[in-house]
Amino acid sequence: MENRPLEYDYTVAKMFMLTTIILGIVGMLIGVILAFQLAFPGVNTILGEGLAEYTNFSRLRPLHTDAVIFGFTLSGIFSTWYYVGQRVLKVSMAESKLLMGLGKVHFWLYLVVVAAVVVSLFAGVTTSKEYAEFEWPIDIAVVVVWVIFGMSIFGLIGIRREKSLYISIWYYIATFLGIAMLYLFNNMEIPTILGQSAAGESGIGAWYHSVSMYAGTNDALVEWWYGHNAVAFGFTVPIVAMIYYFLPKESGQAIYSYKLSLLSFWGLMFVYLWAGGHHLLYSTVPDWMQTMGSIFSVILILPSWGSAINMLLTMKGEWQQVAASPLIKFMILGSTFYMFSTLEGPIQAIKSVNAIAHFTDWIVGHVHDGVLGWVGFMIMAALFHMAPRVFKREIYSKSLMAAQFWIQTLGVVLYFTSMWIAGITQGMMWRAHDEFGNLAYSFIDTVTVLHPYYTIRGVGGLLYLVGFLMFAYNIYKTMSARPVEEHELQNASPMGA
Amino acid sequence: MDIAQLQAYGYFGLTIFLVIVLYGYIYHLYTAKKDVDGVDYEKYSNMALKDDIDDTPVSSVSDDKEK
Amino acid sequence: MFHWLEKHPFFFAVGVFLAISFAGLVEILPNFAQAARPVIGTAPYSTLELAGRHVYIKNSCNACHSQLVRPFKSETDRYGHYSLSGEYAYDRPFLWGSKRTGPDLMRVGNYRTTDWHENHMKNPASVVPGSIMPAYRWMFTNSADIDTAYAEQLTVAQFFSVPYNEPVPMKDGSSKVVKMGKSIADAKAIALEEAKVIAEDMKDQDVKDAVARGEIPEIVAIIAYLNSLK
Repeated sequence: MENRPLEYDYTVAKMFMLTTIILGIVGMLIGVILAFQLAFPGVNTILGEGLAEYTNFSRLRPLHTDAVIFGFTLSGIFSTWYYVGQRVLKVSMAESKLLMGLGKVHFWLYLVVVAAVVVSLFAGVTTSKEYAEFEWPIDIAVVVVWVIFGMSIFGLIGIRREKSLYISIWYYIATFLGIAMLYLFNNMEIPTILGQSAAGESGIGAWYHSVSMYAGTNDALVEWWYGHNAVAFGFTVPIVAMIYYFLPKESGQAIYSYKLSLLSFWGLMFVYLWAGGHHLLYSTVPDWMQTMGSIFSVILILPSWGSAINMLLTMKGEWQQVAASPLIKFMILGSTFYMFSTLEGPIQAIKSVNAIAHFTDWIVGHVHDGVLGWVGFMIMAALFHMAPRVFKREIYSKSLMAAQFWIQTLGVVLYFTSMWIAGITQGMMWRAHDEFGNLAYSFIDTVTVLHPYYTIRGVGGLLYLVGFLMFAYNIYKTMSARPVEEHELQNASPMGA
Repeated sequence: MDIAQLQAYGYFGLTIFLVIVLYGYIYHLYTAKKDVDGVDYEKYSNMALKDDIDDTPVSSVSDDKEK
Repeated sequence: MFHWLEKHPFFFAVGVFLAISFAGLVEILPNFAQAARPVIGTAPYSTLELAGRHVYIKNSCNACHSQLVRPFKSETDRYGHYSLSGEYAYDRPFLWGSKRTGPDLMRVGNYRTTDWHENHMKNPASVVPGSIMPAYRWMFTNSADIDTAYAEQLTVAQFFSVPYNEPVPMKDGSSKVVKMGKSIADAKAIALEEAKVIAEDMKDQDVKDAVARGEIPEIVAIIAYLNSLK
């Protein structure tokens, strides 16, 4: 034992790779089912009338969003952290029994929380707040998992050999702090078992039920401050952390500008939190807050594009790699989608655009070009890059990977174009008046007109799911592919035919 | 002067201050090649590229302790 | 300046925290007390309505239906007066929603009846041809959770001083008292009284029988809630 050279220990990274893939399949499968339920309502009773309560759209919808956010994406974040963290700090998890133990507890506790969430959401136990549906017992467990994640981050930093923190580490720290703050404040709630009746009875009703600390407009404000920034610190910040490591490493190119990354990091940190108000335009939230949300959303383009442009310029003079490697393709298309959705978002946040776009499918489309195109692509690319290194084997098939890339890209394009058209169509129809000043369409007219777009969206989602299954298969087969030598792992990942 | 007016002046002052800090920082980054430790900024990219466990760190923690 | 932070993780974390908490402090805090005041005519939810609200939440109705009328002519034409902040004073949590797959429900109590809801929940497409809303037939057999609704009433009355058993001013100058039971049995009796009124207007014999037996199916509770949205 003593004479073995020190190596990075990827045990925990591997565990989270597994949940990334499994929960990814679950989340996306539910997503596809939901998409077809909107196009063909008969799908709501797909498992028969008796189980309709558990298979119908409204019960499945929070499961879809939470499986993708807190299942797929969060697992991906944890997995890459336990990989990237060690490497850029140049310290192995094997060097500290404590951190290794914490990492494993982190994983198993996370699994327990996931199971609790699945059961409770199927049962309809929810607070109704988007992406914060969990009732208080689960909230407490979530906080524990998160604290362990924080201990793992700062513990690893504490024993590091590299004095400076690499760019990715900044973003992981920000993810930890951001989500911690947002989650705590948004989930302030009082369990209703505390209520006492005049007759002296207490502990009445469901023990897990709680009531929000905030009411009405305040609740909405806090929720969207959270909701918007859960996107910031779940779908943007940690994914940027990934690309800052994996793109340079895979391509062998140094970051185009380290300075630019400094500037865009602090810019993003400061600006992002202000933009939450754009979810509440024309609501009962004070006007100045709405305006502030709008303005800061537009300013947000700058730091977002700062990172994205930095990525694209990293490939300067090396664009043949994009053609040659499907792995680089994923990352470059990912950062392109990042640029696209960080431009689309601010456009939707402009008040007059929002008047049409809000409450329509255009918003759904916007979320999905970000999540499918940017988050999904980047996490899959990260796992593809990690697989040969954690399994010490080459990626099973390059051509399968290339096929997956094109199928999923087509899926994303079908998805967002159809939702784009659907959203604007519906937004315009809602507000249309005839020559006498009466509403031109009844509500149901604006629903039936969407049928073809809902169908196209379903097909797009299905293509993405098929691609994801190809990804899962490719990773699975990688575990038994040709073993590789150390020197092959320097930059570009080794791939089989 | 009531509180709202004070708040307004406060926000205005703060905005000006932040703008100055931001542009000062951009100018500082633009002109400076090396940070206080005398390391060229762009060298830090090597933290990702040379990240094997036996690669030499860009700036080692143990350097501090030896001093 | 900032490159010093990158070598000192603790101060780095503090810096990040300051940068991200700043916006919340400026944007959210100042308005808190002001937005929480109810407007005249807004009363707390009765036990049955609250139980119905829980059914609404349990089935994520808010995933497809908003409860927020924006101040545009097209919206006020379709749904009624635009929303006011104080109208939500007793909404914990808020149910504005973020997507209108179906129409807004902020004032649905003004233009839909018990009868309409009953038929609609059983088979949406029979009432609105072309509707893509799924049927919610299990609401006719599941029992509403009155206990939890009562516990919530007690909790909000204790922690947030929600005015139960007190006169609340209404728009026409009169006042209204929303009753909250003294004990669980009392609360159930009050809820059942309300449920009987709803069941009167319903056709489903099983539901009528259940209410006659002293049970309250979910459908009765959610209709009570939807009728209260005005």
